[in-house]
Amino acid sequence: MQVHESVGGIDRLDAFAGTILIAERDRNVRELEQHFLESAGFLVEFADDGPAALIQARRGFPRLIITEILIPKLDGLQLCRELKLDATTRDIPVIVFSVLAAETRAKEAGANAFLRKPLVPSVLLGTIRRLAMLEAHSFTEPQ
Amino acid sequence: MITIAAPDRRKISRSADYMADRMTSGNTEADYILGGGFPLNSINIIMGHPGSGKTIFAEQLMFHNAADDRPVLYLTTLSEPLAKVVRYLQGFSFYDENKFGSQVIYEDVGEQLATDGPTALVPLLREAIRSRSPKIIVIDSFKAVHDLESDGGNRRRMVYELTSLLTAYGTTAFLLGEYTEDDILRYPEFAVADGIVEMSRRRLGNRDERYFRVYKLRGSRYLEGAHAFRITSSGLDIYPRLVSPALPEGYEPATERVSIGVPDLDKMLDGGLWKGTTTLLAGPSGAGKTTIGLQFALDGARKGVPSLYMNFQENPSQLTRTIRNLGVDLDDEAKARLDLVYASPVELQIDSIIVDMFRRIEENGVRRLVIDALGDLASAATDPQRLHDYLYALVQHFAARGITSILNVETTGNTIAGETMQNAMSYLSDNVLLLTVDGEQRTRRAVRVLKTRGSAHDLRVREVEIRPTGLVVLE
Repeated sequence: MQVHESVGGIDRLDAFAGTILIAERDRNVRELEQHFLESAGFLVEFADDGPAALIQARRGFPRLIITEILIPKLDGLQLCRELKLDATTRDIPVIVFSVLAAETRAKEAGANAFLRKPLVPSVLLGTIRRLAMLEAHSFTEPQ
Repeated sequence: MITIAAPDRRKISRSADYMADRMTSGNTEADYILGGGFPLNSINIIMGHPGSGKTIFAEQLMFHNAADDRPVLYLTTLSEPLAKVVRYLQGFSFYDENKFGSQVIYEDVGEQLATDGPTALVPLLREAIRSRSPKIIVIDSFKAVHDLESDGGNRRRMVYELTSLLTAYGTTAFLLGEYTEDDILRYPEFAVADGIVEMSRRRLGNRDERYFRVYKLRGSRYLEGAHAFRITSSGLDIYPRLVSPALPEGYEPATERVSIGVPDLDKMLDGGLWKGTTTLLAGPSGAGKTTIGLQFALDGARKGVPSLYMNFQENPSQLTRTIRNLGVDLDDEAKARLDLVYASPVELQIDSIIVDMFRRIEENGVRRLVIDALGDLASAATDPQRLHDYLYALVQHFAARGITSILNVETTGNTIAGETMQNAMSYLSDNVLLLTVDGEQRTRRAVRVLKTRGSAHDLRVREVEIRPTGLVVLE
């Protein structure tokens, strides 16, 4: 992975460029995620609920998925389980990014990492970086 | 050695685990009151009248937490021009020019708010978050933003937008404002705030008293009540309110006697004072209270017991003369164990004296203590209930720590009846001794033991004399 430049204090991660699918309802969180991830060189796509995220994941094969647990119709943990059960999506790293303290449940659901809200850009990007470098399926502790 | 009392910071131990999800205020005493600091990523209101110290408190916090990771952002709105804020900031010792402008960023958004209205605040903040990623955001004054909007519905919408943004993004926010207590029910930000701290000021004669109070702090075991503070060149010097020890009944009643320093008085007390008890020594001026208090402290020092004499009446030279007149010659070791402290009653603030006293008790392992006299402490406490709470807590702390104490109190006559504070202290104290002065030339002095808890005592009124070597009980 190469860091090409820094924009507004955010390192661009062009070598890891690709689409990140985000299942999130909170307008402010979406807006901030979009800003900081795009500043780092990612394309960002949003899903309003769990079933929509599942469809978009199967159709577009994003590089990484970030999901809140509290999303309509299919919660983020169940979404994670379904993604990990599907052979076509199981290798997509999933970050559960939630207001709930649910690290253990996220791990049990197969998430590759868990982050507790609120959004701290360096923590979110650092986690994405580690997942990109590891390209592993094991659970990653946030730092 | 005689020292002049000066307020000093109390050392407070803190659990590293407990502090992990906390942001220090940059002030040890404030952190102690807050239960370890402010919760990380919380929204807090710092309220108080103009000049109460809000901005200084916030700036101390900002500069203490400033580092290379993410900057601290201070937005001034419509209360004070930025140039004025920065000019006064530079006078404080916590100001660091190397941090200013890089780690601590000051921005004036007053003009834009005046032009575009209060709804401009949230977009301004959103842009600041995008471009600077601040870990702390201070808005000074937030209440002033409200003054631009008369419609209550619009105010509420703006606060909702603001708190939604500040909740989504990882930052600890401080909204400063000249709010009053009535405003807590009036302004919507109080309903969503995680923490509310009030800083108040009230005039007392020729000086001001300032108080720091936590109204609310979610998820925190904060110390309730009003805590006195002063503004100094290093920021805020806060004196946490003295409260009773957590389990005062947990200590073992002492079985050891402590000499009062006057052998004849020890006999009247059936062998001396019980260790860890508090004795009220009451009497009119000139009755011998200071003499007995000094004899008690000097006796302790001679026997290797660290002793503290808190004195508000005799200045250092007067006290030295009094000790010399007693004919006491302490060796260097004994002198080191005797801490004679003078605090001016004119500048006395009860909270600062209490903090200073406990610092000395902890540092020196004090086991004998004299306060000469309680009336000076009383005059420093404007609120009788506050004084009573303080004295009650003092006695409990002394007992829990095994400190044997004498509290001198001056009466207007030869009785303690009818004197409010003395009566209250009589109830709180384990022992009460009354000294009297009679005769045409006021030359006949006497002592009577009014009360001893858990001990027999001499019920008679005994005549006493103050001789060059100290007080003597006559046959």
